[in-house]
Amino acid sequence: MAKKILCVPFDPVHDVGIKIIKSELDKNGHQTELLSPDLTPEAIVKIAANGNYDFILVSRTLGYGVAEMLARFVDMLDAAGVREKSKIVIGGKPITPELAAELGFDKGFGEHSSLEELLAYIEGREVKLTGAGLNRTKKDITSKYDYSFNNQEIGQLLDSIATKLIDFTKNKKSPGIERAKIQEELFYTEDESNKTNLLEKYYALCDNVIVDGNTKRNFVKGVREVTETELKNLNSFLSKSQPVNPYKIQYNEKQPLLFKFLGSGCPIMDITHAKVCERYGINGFLIINPSWEARYEGLLQGCLTHENDGTITSFENIKLVRQSLDESTLLTVRAHRGLNTPETVLLAGEAGADLAKINLVYGSLGAGTDPVRLAVDGIEAIKLTAKYNMPFDIPGNDELSGVPAWKTLAGLLINVMIGIKLGAKPILKPLFCYGPHIVINGMMIQNFIDYNAAKIYALREIVNSPIWPGEPIAFMTQSEERVQSANATSYHASLAASVGVDAITVASTDEAYSRGPICITSRIDSIRAISDAFRFVGDAKFQTTPQADYYTDDLIKKITKTLREVNAKSNLTTAIYEGCLGNKEDGAYPGKFGSGTVS
Amino acid sequence: MTTALEHVMDAIDIETYIVCNDENEGKKLSLQLGQEMNLGEIDIMYQEFDGYGVRVRLRKYVYKPGNMYKYLNQEEKT
Repeated sequence: MAKKILCVPFDPVHDVGIKIIKSELDKNGHQTELLSPDLTPEAIVKIAANGNYDFILVSRTLGYGVAEMLARFVDMLDAAGVREKSKIVIGGKPITPELAAELGFDKGFGEHSSLEELLAYIEGREVKLTGAGLNRTKKDITSKYDYSFNNQEIGQLLDSIATKLIDFTKNKKSPGIERAKIQEELFYTEDESNKTNLLEKYYALCDNVIVDGNTKRNFVKGVREVTETELKNLNSFLSKSQPVNPYKIQYNEKQPLLFKFLGSGCPIMDITHAKVCERYGINGFLIINPSWEARYEGLLQGCLTHENDGTITSFENIKLVRQSLDESTLLTVRAHRGLNTPETVLLAGEAGADLAKINLVYGSLGAGTDPVRLAVDGIEAIKLTAKYNMPFDIPGNDELSGVPAWKTLAGLLINVMIGIKLGAKPILKPLFCYGPHIVINGMMIQNFIDYNAAKIYALREIVNSPIWPGEPIAFMTQSEERVQSANATSYHASLAASVGVDAITVASTDEAYSRGPICITSRIDSIRAISDAFRFVGDAKFQTTPQADYYTDDLIKKITKTLREVNAKSNLTTAIYEGCLGNKEDGAYPGKFGSGTVS
Repeated sequence: MTTALEHVMDAIDIETYIVCNDENEGKKLSLQLGQEMNLGEIDIMYQEFDGYGVRVRLRKYVYKPGNMYKYLNQEEKT
């Protein structure tokens, strides 16, 4: 039923709030009357007393002496008998329910109150929540793209490189592939004696550290099993969370999805952080594993916690995280680091993860896996992503070692073509960063916009593929200073929105702080900064200078040249060994883990 | 009865400005502040000296990964 409401701007200057509220109340069918802001309290009381209003809405920003003035005003309304027929309500930035009650108002609404809360109060009903969960649907980042190549020469070079690599890996085996096959059988075997046999075969392909952990529960330092009590308490925590309407980061549908890293070491800490981040509007997460896990053949089993960086890759851990997240939240699992790539994708697929992170080139550079081993494992892993209908995201973090952007982008494109040929759905993840090669060669002296934008423009000119800059955006531009870090992230996020990418991976304001785990407030800091930046930019754009066009052309030329060099080699692995996609001068060198293990 | 500290999800950050003569004194006073506030060992996340004092951000971890997070036990909540 429509209510009769008197809107009172009890402030000579700040009356915009009450005007907006009046407009919304009108839209919802209520009868409102807005007074002018220059009336005396006596005049307002007279109008309120003479009319039959259900509510008197008073708007006022507090300042020195204002509280006393408002209290006197309420006394005047009481003396005139207004409270007998009207509810007296105050609204304003610093108003709290406690302060409103103290001043004698029936109700108070502050800066954190929503219009829905005011409407619910006026209409005498419960606050409507937009849904039991986050009121959003899961997005498929790849759905709009057909992976057609606009640059024919690059398309043909990639076709040749991918074909040669797939042929090279045909009929080749590795302990990683064998373990993945055993794991797959284990998932679907009911027979206990068969399970025991399969586990024996599995352990025969593992390093002792993994065997000891799985059979004797004797783990590497800092690792322990999560207890039943901890799991029970986590469930209780999750089930008792209060339903509130979540924030939304994107101001319009075109702005990119936001992903954050998980990988504190502890799946429970990851989950508590993730749940808070979901409420702040984060769309997805990436689970990062410990660096030591990459060195070992085989994976630990069970729900395990770890005191240092990186959450252990186990089926139970991935499943626990996945099940704790909202259905609409996306989850990707890092698979390309180390000797367990196919098995990690298998576990991710079985545990219900949405994506897997694989880059055959970057995973083979620096402290990575031997190129032949990762090629063989990676091809199998990409086939598994296709089987589980999980897109795979290809991070270009080799640029952070000092590899020039065009070599990194060439590597990403090679992965895309391999994915296409294997029926998978690849996603390009170029960096938005102030990487060493960029610093040394001065590509960002003028601004941070042109070169980052040029990477996107170049990839768009080459292929119609989803693009998701990471990993995270703003790498090397953030400091330990919280505000600077949040700003740097939000500027890069705005650039990402301007160039129309599909998603971005964002850091917390702890990104540059390396002496302890990321804390939840730092995660919220960067989300709030980005949310504000997205509102600021809206459907406008950051403007590039003509230099971005020059960089775009230059990148395409150099990507082409790099791919020609790669294609001149017998296959991709030879090209990586010989430095075509990053050499010692670039700060990159072929990985050694798993060397000589392919048969 | 649980303590409020046990309900902190992970860490407490303190941001303030400490008047001092140089960076070293700023660092010393920051660490002393942690002790005076009964926070025990704290980390100086960020410190910037500008000639009059330091703008600092200090951090005390209440829980680190792998710890038992008492706030998860809803039954014992205050």
